[in-house]
Amino acid sequence: MQFKDYYAALGVTRDASQDEIKRAYRKLARKYHPDVSKEADAEARFKEIGEANEVLKDPEKRAAYDQAGRQWERQRASGSQDFQPPPGWDAGFEFSGRGDEGGFTAEDLFGGADHSDFFEALFGRARGSRSARAARPDVHVRGQDHHAKVMIALEDAYRGAQRSIVLRLPTLDEHGRVAMHERTLDVNIPKGIRAGQHLRLSGQGGPGIGDAPAGDLFLEIEFEPHRRYRIDGRDVYVDLPLAPWEAALGASVEAPTPDGPVQLTIPPGSQAGRKLRLKGRGIPAGTASGAPGDLYAVLTIVLPTAVTPKAKAAYQALADAFDFDPRKNVQE
Amino acid sequence: MTRIVSTMVHGSIVDDDTEMTLVELCHACSVHEEDVRVWVSEGVLHPSDEPGHPMRFRGAALRRARVAVRLTRDLEVNTAGVALALDLLDEIAELRSRLARAGAR
Repeated sequence: MQFKDYYAALGVTRDASQDEIKRAYRKLARKYHPDVSKEADAEARFKEIGEANEVLKDPEKRAAYDQAGRQWERQRASGSQDFQPPPGWDAGFEFSGRGDEGGFTAEDLFGGADHSDFFEALFGRARGSRSARAARPDVHVRGQDHHAKVMIALEDAYRGAQRSIVLRLPTLDEHGRVAMHERTLDVNIPKGIRAGQHLRLSGQGGPGIGDAPAGDLFLEIEFEPHRRYRIDGRDVYVDLPLAPWEAALGASVEAPTPDGPVQLTIPPGSQAGRKLRLKGRGIPAGTASGAPGDLYAVLTIVLPTAVTPKAKAAYQALADAFDFDPRKNVQE
Repeated sequence: MTRIVSTMVHGSIVDDDTEMTLVELCHACSVHEEDVRVWVSEGVLHPSDEPGHPMRFRGAALRRARVAVRLTRDLEVNTAGVALALDLLDEIAELRSRLARAGAR
């Protein structure tokens, strides 16, 4: 197990005051909050600083952590690379890392309690979502709704997809101990879903108490970044490079779409930046009453480099054929 | 660790054809009705508001409400701050899609 340096995570020194820790945390929390940050690793960093803050803001936890840190220094001095928590702190449950299969990132499945195994080895696992409490026969409470994020490719929104999602839920066993249950759901991602939308899986959330029904599981959809396509709501944009003569004379060229290539007619006299709309070729409609998005091919013009004498002569012939001043509008 | 493999499940897309009641939205976000009412009065959420009918929220409200929950919980932003942040996030999203249309990556 890797020893986590919580002071480094918050960028404070070991003798930082509680005020300094709070200030450092607040600043980093705003910077890396997944809803406002565009840093690539925002979600992981936000979890890391949240965990660091949870330990360091609490004087008792901080003292325990400092003690573990001093022991770690001694361990490391004797050549050990692997942190082992002090005896007696390891409460003895097995924890094997969370399942991240199928492009699934677990969000706050149980109320944001999502700690590293280092944290759990020192401080134990967060106890008890409502579903883990022992039920009383006369109490009926609907199960909690759970949330998770799922990354899909743009192509999945065109065709639909399946994702295996691993859910880990704490439940109480017959001896009153918290045990982790792992549950795999094979989820059908319907075509037409967009980034930011939720997929609701009825009855797949937390179990109900008594006779009450289970909660729902909401999957928030995000698109993986695509090297070719840009996405705006339901509309999809793709750059389409043209040779100068294709743009000038018009042409029929093959344009890529997430649904496969289509033949596209380029009108003569097209300029770079012109958008050709392929109606209905964006993200398909998600419901019967919805409309599909459009696909826009954004024209770019690529100039071939003149290397051979023949190619140079061709550019010279162009120069001779036109009375053309591209800088007409930039003169004083 | 107990493993239970479940079978194929199908979900429904929560889109703007989906209507949620106040109770459903609160349950989905694990917040009290009072929180949602405050967000409505601050203009964070825009439910359909026909006189004599209970409030109904469209699908997009779920995402907004979830962001509001997280900003409140994680950053201790107050209601007015949440409203401001969501407006600014909308504006950033609009600028980003304008960039996408113009060809920037």
